[in-house]
Amino acid sequence: MENLVYIALFAPFVGSLFAGLFFARSPKTHLVGIVNSSLIGIAFIASVTLALHVAEHGAVHVTMMSWISAGDLSIPFGFLVDEVSVTMMLVVTLVSTIVHIYSTGYMNHDKAYNRFFAYLSAFVFSMMILVMSDNFAGLFIGWEGVGVCSWLLIGFWYHKEDKTFEENPSISPSWAANEAFIMNRVADLGMLVGIFLIYWNVGSLQYDVVFKALPHLADGLLVSIAIALFIGAMGKSAQFPLHTWLTDAMEGPTPVSALIHAATMVTAGVFLVIRANPLFSLDAVHGVSMFIASLGAFVAFYAASMALSARDIKRIVALSTLSQLGYMFAAAGLGAYWIALFHLAAHAFFKALLFLGAGNVMHAMDDELDIFKMGGMKKVMMGSYVYMGIASFALAGLPIMAGFYSKDAIIETAFNDGSFIIWAILVITAGMTAFYSFRQVFFTFHGEERYKALGFHPHDMYKYVLVAMAPLAALAISFGWFMDSFHEFITKNLPDYEMSHHTHDLAPFLGTLVIILALTGIFIAWKKYAGKGADAWKRDEEFEQSFVYKLVANQYYVPKFYDEFIVQPYTIASKKFWEIDKAVVDGFVDLIGKMFYKSGDVSRGMQTGSLSAYLNWMGVGALLLIVTAAITALIG
Amino acid sequence: MDHILSILIFLPAVAGILGFVVDKGSAKAYGVSVAAVELLLALGLWASFDTTNPGMQFTEFSPIISQFGISYNVGVDGISLFIVIMAALITLLGIILLRDDTKNMKNMIVSLLFLEMTMVGVFLSLDAIIFYLFWELSLVPMLYIIGAWGGADRVYAAVKFFLYTFAGSLILLVGLLAMAYLFHLESGVWSFNLLDWYTLKLTPDQQFWLFLAFFSGFAIKVPMFPFHTWLPWAHGQAPTIGSVILAAVLLKMGTYGFVRFSLPILPDASVTFTPFIMALSLIMVIYTAMVAFAQKDMKQVIAYSSVSHMGIIMIGVFAMNAEGLGGSIFLMLSHGIVSGALFMLVGVIYERTGTKIMEEFGGLAAVMPVYATVFGVMLMASVGLPLTIGFVGEFLVLLGFYKVSAVGTILAGTTIIIGSVYMLALFKKSFFGPVRHEKNLGLKDLDKRELTALLPLVAIVVWLGVYPKPVLEPIDNSVKALLVQMKNHAQLESTKEAIIVSKKEAK
Amino acid sequence: MEIGISHYLILSGILFSIGFVGVLRRKNLLMLFFATEIMLNAVNIAFAAIGNYYGDLSGQMFAFFIIAVAASEVAVGLGLLIILYKKYGSLDLDVISTMKG
Repeated sequence: MENLVYIALFAPFVGSLFAGLFFARSPKTHLVGIVNSSLIGIAFIASVTLALHVAEHGAVHVTMMSWISAGDLSIPFGFLVDEVSVTMMLVVTLVSTIVHIYSTGYMNHDKAYNRFFAYLSAFVFSMMILVMSDNFAGLFIGWEGVGVCSWLLIGFWYHKEDKTFEENPSISPSWAANEAFIMNRVADLGMLVGIFLIYWNVGSLQYDVVFKALPHLADGLLVSIAIALFIGAMGKSAQFPLHTWLTDAMEGPTPVSALIHAATMVTAGVFLVIRANPLFSLDAVHGVSMFIASLGAFVAFYAASMALSARDIKRIVALSTLSQLGYMFAAAGLGAYWIALFHLAAHAFFKALLFLGAGNVMHAMDDELDIFKMGGMKKVMMGSYVYMGIASFALAGLPIMAGFYSKDAIIETAFNDGSFIIWAILVITAGMTAFYSFRQVFFTFHGEERYKALGFHPHDMYKYVLVAMAPLAALAISFGWFMDSFHEFITKNLPDYEMSHHTHDLAPFLGTLVIILALTGIFIAWKKYAGKGADAWKRDEEFEQSFVYKLVANQYYVPKFYDEFIVQPYTIASKKFWEIDKAVVDGFVDLIGKMFYKSGDVSRGMQTGSLSAYLNWMGVGALLLIVTAAITALIG
Repeated sequence: MDHILSILIFLPAVAGILGFVVDKGSAKAYGVSVAAVELLLALGLWASFDTTNPGMQFTEFSPIISQFGISYNVGVDGISLFIVIMAALITLLGIILLRDDTKNMKNMIVSLLFLEMTMVGVFLSLDAIIFYLFWELSLVPMLYIIGAWGGADRVYAAVKFFLYTFAGSLILLVGLLAMAYLFHLESGVWSFNLLDWYTLKLTPDQQFWLFLAFFSGFAIKVPMFPFHTWLPWAHGQAPTIGSVILAAVLLKMGTYGFVRFSLPILPDASVTFTPFIMALSLIMVIYTAMVAFAQKDMKQVIAYSSVSHMGIIMIGVFAMNAEGLGGSIFLMLSHGIVSGALFMLVGVIYERTGTKIMEEFGGLAAVMPVYATVFGVMLMASVGLPLTIGFVGEFLVLLGFYKVSAVGTILAGTTIIIGSVYMLALFKKSFFGPVRHEKNLGLKDLDKRELTALLPLVAIVVWLGVYPKPVLEPIDNSVKALLVQMKNHAQLESTKEAIIVSKKEAK
Repeated sequence: MEIGISHYLILSGILFSIGFVGVLRRKNLLMLFFATEIMLNAVNIAFAAIGNYYGDLSGQMFAFFIIAVAASEVAVGLGLLIILYKKYGSLDLDVISTMKG
């Protein structure tokens, strides 16, 4: 089994090196796409085998070698494949494999094909380290690794110029990449502090040791650790207020958005909370957990509200990702870790599918993102239409679909916990989710064929790419059916979450409520948007002047706030500091130098050249010496 | 291997004198071969170094002025070993990177070889006078390198560098003499032998003043805020090779001085001064990182980033535990490698375009992909990405310092944020976006000479990031021995409590 | 009244002061020269007197040394003065000041 662990881990790494070597020689080699996809596929197969092994024989734990050891600290490269991590491995490798295959088609015409695959495989490798590591430091390696890969991939089209905020809210790919990296770093500091706290109070960073020692620690300490770790999770999972990078990250190629900014990396924060469940489920940190749940519910609603009026196809999907992450945190915060993980997996499948479908549309429309300019595209893109439809059904949480089971379970959890405010927010958000996802579908695929007038000639994606997407579609439909077996599998490791009888009895009613809301959302979307005419792409000035629209379109002015109250003051302060450095700090040093020059200048006057003047000075000096000697003699 | 340390110190000096008679055309080849031999010797030293022995090894001792206890006394332990190897490596790669059409190549090579002697000498000396001798001698070749091959304001910068550091070291000299005098009072014999000094117990009051004297010499060299202003000037005017050696090795002399002199000789004062050092270091970390962000000149960004990173090293030195101190020694190495490489990279683009202003570039990633990749690797190491060399030291330092002050660590930890702010801004301005000037479209990517100089550094960055053990282990041993020695010689109970060799023992 | 050590020292002090004032106030190089000679002789008197007082001959010996040195100084110094006079036509210090900084 050990070998399988290494294969699952290092196959993507080998792929990254392989592509990297080719990148040094030529921008595009077909072989790279094939080899890298197969390597990720191998990692997937290895993960499946491991999953079967884990289900039967329990966790696999391997230690490769020691990494850092100094003082009492000893960090190994150790990997733990248990129920939780193997679930993540399956999700990551499966979605990655499909995204890799998808990318061979999507990036076919890109100049930097090999570079893309080098980065993408490196990302998978980092993500695997993140989920497989058996200690917090190893987790941090993956944590930062995915951050860098995300930086590289968001900024993949680095040659694009900076635009103004009004023209493009993300300014430019390289800008968005830097924003993502720096914002994540803010959160990483919190995570580091958590690691330090753990080390100085437990003496180890290994999960098993730490979790065993947790109950013996003081309450205040546990709260600090939980807060610090959650700050780390907030950054990666783009929770408010560290969320602005996620929508801007859509500047990256769409397969990247599907893999990194929907299915895998952004769920790392949720994974951390699930992984550290022995900490977050302690009574002492109940407050923190409640905060996590409340923040999750808030973000779910907050993001959904922004998605209601967005015109950019990728932004809509990104905001829905944000919203769904909120759901996951709500579940995790309420202690339903396994439900959070279940929704994480389900979401990964249908959201990746949705993103890839959106990618097909963009590809067809020459990278046009405005859904108002599309319409009626189901005629030319039947395959993508079906896929996006399935994904949207799943996202909206309609019966039979994956989202129905997972999202419903979360809403039920909130009800069961007695957190009715959270429950109400989540229910309303579910309706909004259905509305905005179908708004997007109807705008894009139904109604008048507006793109024709605008001079686009769309065509659907390569056939093999559409076929490759099929497993995602199948899972988006059917993943929920395996809820019971998943429950049985995962609760060997994660604490079970019991619904009370009361909730259990009310469950059908609650579920129906959500479905009705979702259907209502879809119906309104259908009514409003499915029949949009040819002129829909023209802007509605009056509507866009309204306060609510402006608030939402400007993302509640959060980016503006950051710009004005953080970025600009920082820039100005930096410049001021530089001036101070030159004028005051260095000026003081120069002043000392100048003092010597000046004193030389002044004392030059003594050098008259007249011998008698010199003798006078000498006499004065001699007298002074005699007087001092006399005084000291008298005193001393 | 009997006199390997003496050979290490004096081989470059002898070769430097012989270098005067070498033919002009073959000066560079001569320099490369001498530096290569030196590096091989240094590696040989590592190979025969007993990594389990935390004490001084390969010691040599011969009296010079026995009345005053001044002797030629050298030795190496886990702390100095790797700095010496790094000095030899950086010198070699720096010489390789020299362009063949450098004017007065012969003089350059001779200066560099002399500089190498002084650097190696500083790190190997165990006698205060010999240490001071090499310490001051190192100024001369550097003064010459900046003054003769530098930019437009080179004379001002060189004089400032010389006078500033010289003024500080004079006070250091007074401190060393006072120390010897105190030793004489106590034991009746004169000695400048460091190992003798380690046995001397000083009252906290004496330690206080001696610490201040040592501080003024070392802090200017580091350079600590507010004594750092000579550094941007020196870097701004120095030729590439000068900046590389200055940042990679010369600055480490300051922090090494703190480790070798202040900590073990003055344990109580070191603990007393920790809050003061912490305050200055935090200003260094945050303030200079912000100043770095405001720069327009690529080289200045890296110069100021050096100051910022040295702040982290200082914090680690005064963490008073094995994690922090060991981490700061490792960080000295990693900062040497990374900042050296970054200055080399700036030199590469400066040679091609004649400018270092970032706004003149833009889009270089497309024009020079290999260059951009190497730069990217170094950038990631500089911002402390795990699995690069930069992470290990930074992580250990912050981890260690957390025991001293949680708030201080969080403030110092902002380095991972603001450090990436200025580095990513630099990268974005120069490498991303459209190519701003048409003439930059034809820039050549790295050639063989540059790759030979840079690829070893890339390899080290990755190797020591993934597997730091061979380096970290000897450092850890010596650091623990140093802490034990500090603890045994501390006069105050509070000092003993502050020094943590191992948590297990503390419990 | 017997003439004791103090009388000699007072005389020496007065002579020295006269010479000192001369050195400070005179502008003519020749006069300066005289003033220094007076100071030297003042010291000689003090040396001889103190030597006698303690019964130690080194005082007198030093006085002899100083006389010898003063004599050679006069020999060389006067020669220089003559050359200076030939060059500048004056021995006034204000006229021959060339070392102005």
